[in-house]
Amino acid sequence: MRYQKALKYLVTFFCIITLNFFLPRIMPGDPFYFLSSEQGEVTVTYSQEEIDRFKAYYGLDKPVLAQYGSYLKGIIKGDLGYSIYFGSDVRTIIKNRIPWSVSLVLLSVIIGGGAGTLLGCLSAWQRGKGSDKVLYGIMVVISEIPAFLIGIFFLFYLAARQGIFPLSGGAKPFADYASWADAVLDIVYHGFLPTLTLSAVQMGGFYLIARNSMITVMSKDYIITAKAKGLSTGRILFRHALSNAALPIVTQAFYSLGQAVGGTLLVENVFKYPGLGSLMRQAVMVRDYPLIQGIFLTVTFFVVIMNAVVDILYKKLDPRIT
Amino acid sequence: MLKVENLSVTYSGDGQKTHAVREVSFSLEQGQSMGIIGESGSGKTTLGLAIMGILSSTAKVTGTIEYNKINLRELSARQLDMYRWKHIAMVFQNGLDILNPLMTVNEQIKECIIRHLKIKNHDADSRVKELLEQVGLDASVADNLPHQLSGGMRQRVLIAMALACDPKVLIVDEPTSSLDAISKAEIIELLSRLQHQKRFAMIVISHDFSVITRLASKMCVMYRGCILEEGLTRDILENPLHPYTRGLINSSPSLNPYQDLWGIPRAGEATTDEGCSFFPRCSQRSQICKNQKPKLKYASLERKVACNQGGIITLLEAWGINKTYSFKGNKICACKDCHMSIRAGEIIALIGQSGSGKTTLASILSGYLEPESGNIEFLGQTIKQHEFTSKPKGIQMVFQDPFSSINDQFTVMQAVKEPLDILKLYNTDERIARVKQALIDVELASDDTFLNRRCFTLSGGQRQRVAIARSLVLEPRLLIADEISSMLDPSTQANILRLLKGLQNTLGFAMIYITHDLDIARKIADKLYIMHKGEIVETGPAWKVFDNPESEYTRKLMSKAGLA
Ligand SMILES: Nc1ncnc2c1ncn2[C@@H]1O[C@H](COP(=O)(O)OP(=O)(O)OP(=O)(O)O)[C@@H](O)[C@H]1O
Ligand code: SF4
Ligand SMILES: [Mg+2]
Repeated sequence: MRYQKALKYLVTFFCIITLNFFLPRIMPGDPFYFLSSEQGEVTVTYSQEEIDRFKAYYGLDKPVLAQYGSYLKGIIKGDLGYSIYFGSDVRTIIKNRIPWSVSLVLLSVIIGGGAGTLLGCLSAWQRGKGSDKVLYGIMVVISEIPAFLIGIFFLFYLAARQGIFPLSGGAKPFADYASWADAVLDIVYHGFLPTLTLSAVQMGGFYLIARNSMITVMSKDYIITAKAKGLSTGRILFRHALSNAALPIVTQAFYSLGQAVGGTLLVENVFKYPGLGSLMRQAVMVRDYPLIQGIFLTVTFFVVIMNAVVDILYKKLDPRIT
Repeated sequence: MLKVENLSVTYSGDGQKTHAVREVSFSLEQGQSMGIIGESGSGKTTLGLAIMGILSSTAKVTGTIEYNKINLRELSARQLDMYRWKHIAMVFQNGLDILNPLMTVNEQIKECIIRHLKIKNHDADSRVKELLEQVGLDASVADNLPHQLSGGMRQRVLIAMALACDPKVLIVDEPTSSLDAISKAEIIELLSRLQHQKRFAMIVISHDFSVITRLASKMCVMYRGCILEEGLTRDILENPLHPYTRGLINSSPSLNPYQDLWGIPRAGEATTDEGCSFFPRCSQRSQICKNQKPKLKYASLERKVACNQGGIITLLEAWGINKTYSFKGNKICACKDCHMSIRAGEIIALIGQSGSGKTTLASILSGYLEPESGNIEFLGQTIKQHEFTSKPKGIQMVFQDPFSSINDQFTVMQAVKEPLDILKLYNTDERIARVKQALIDVELASDDTFLNRRCFTLSGGQRQRVAIARSLVLEPRLLIADEISSMLDPSTQANILRLLKGLQNTLGFAMIYITHDLDIARKIADKLYIMHKGEIVETGPAWKVFDNPESEYTRKLMSKAGLA
């Protein structure tokens, strides 16, 4: 059973890697052609000789299967290739960007998830009453609006119009902080709107799931038992009901971690936040295949690993599943 | 201590209303126990939940629930929480989901203790252990999760949990359903012991008489949310007053170890809200029952019954019957100060050796024979000769030898139709229709070929059925069957008996079944009358007489039949 699961994930990883390898090769277009014909920022032009050298460097002159083999070998060693555009190791580039994105994602899932769950619980408790109906309406709307639209709204309203928050970036450029506290403050200040945006979206999803599963749980016999015991509302709601409703909520949390990465890619671009999303955009703009592949691989790995965590947690949360 | 008055609960949902509890009132003192019995869906659980104040918001509750002179229904939710479990606790109907699947037994019991008794965590732990041991569980069960418990263990945990704060009132819902016989006996034993020790007042909800009889000294019978009968458990079992109660008793395997079980017939028509809730299924209903809701009224000192006719009506009452035959100068005393009382829908077995005077008594009761002295009343009217045998809804008699009273040259049609012809009842078509229906009722063919058969061509079993059909066309209220099966082979006998009992159950007539066969009596009778040398020597509910015969003669009879 365990091995089966492990095998399943191994196969998934393998498929992703393979797909990642073949997709750019099937797609039309040539990075060198692109690199050499782009005007504007890209000033470098390549001679045929240089192109050949790069091709040799990337192994593009060898047969596809041989390329595939060395690609696999590279990945196992943790080598994602070299970005021509940035003139640096793909791994290093991604590693520098990951903390920005991951902290956005984590924070938004925690904040949005927490708030959504709490509101979902209260809504389920008040089910059918006015407060529940209003909350439900708002949340459905929020969860349906794409993240970047909410981001744009915040950007216009809170940053551009009111000027409360910075328009872009992850920290003040070229800043010389007096202390590390200043640095943290600045980073929080910059990260606030992106986090808020992603949290709002998360909150909608969590709210719906939490309300739904709480309503199911609230009609269970053991809730009647708990009420009969004269326990406090808080205890009934958060100890008796929530622990039983937690399963779908936690599952949602980890799936959303995966989804949120997708959301961040877009939202980061709205705020020009220096995470993987902005990087991705840049990489796509210049057709930097090794970098695109690297980002794609990183993101999908993240999603798959979150799913695996859900699988494991499921068992931990419900002792009845053996 | 606990006083419930005019409590009604109405569930509304999906556009329809369910009156789950209607105007229920009762009171309970400390140390007392009361049983609530009723068919599934009669509102027993709802009543329990209403007292606990934990019905869902779709339920509308009216009436008062007084605990120590405080109307619990006027308290706020917060105030009520202080009464729940601490003063009034409930042992819920055992189910997988009744305990929180993710919390240990310890935590679930402990949380009530901590909430209500304000005990420190550590002391609460040891109190949980104490409670578990009290209900006969190992203290280590505390660390188990509900899904690790068996049904019987879970029931005990539920009891321990209910007793956690030493409540003054305990509501126990179906404590033994879904348990095997041994666990069931143990749980009953446990509850009865705990109640004696702790002296809490107890409401036992069950559809099982054996649970109620063991645990509750008084009981209420519920049907469609109404209490139909209330009284001491022992009295009700011996002498149920409401037709529904009797139906329940007759359906109870624990009370009827020998008798065939016959459930209460299903309703043929819808219940109206104005009338008696039992109306569609009642075999003695009258027209007023449809529109007038009976109130729960005292029928005797400690008994209340809700019936427009004061409960099961007494059909026939006879007392001081004497009859002596003179035979060649010898005087044979066939009936000596005999008495009999038969209620609607009841089956009485009149048992005695041959020559003990059974047929004489039956003939007197039906009006065929005149007694020397004594009174017989049918529905309160004194019987004069053939008056009641010769009209519909009266008394009919079927004899040992059916064709002693039927001309065996008659066709089947003539034989069955004759009473209607003689009494000039209904028009021709209707007479034929009734004949056919009666024949269908007794499971005979009703086609023309059979209708035109001459009676002497019929077999013994068929003749007996024809005789029964002949008496059924007059829709008797009382059928007297005199040894009707003694001339038949066992298989035919069994068929006729089941047929009669089934007809009795659906049509609801009363029956005096005369026999010398104790086995048969035990199979069908509600009450026994034992006759010996013209005297009634013992009477009583069948289960009681068979279990514990009082007279010397009965004991002898039983030991001879190999029954005692
Ligand atoms: N939550 C509810 N919503 C709507 N109707 C309900 C609800 N609970 C019970 N009822 C209805 O109320 C009536 C009484 O139900 P209740 O559970 O009290 O019966 P019961 O006597 O305990 O039956 P059983 O012996 O099967 O436990 C039934 O008709 C049932 O369908
Ligand atoms: S006799 Fe009437 S009131 Fe009494 S139980 Fe039957 S239907 Fe109800
Ligand atoms: Mg019930």
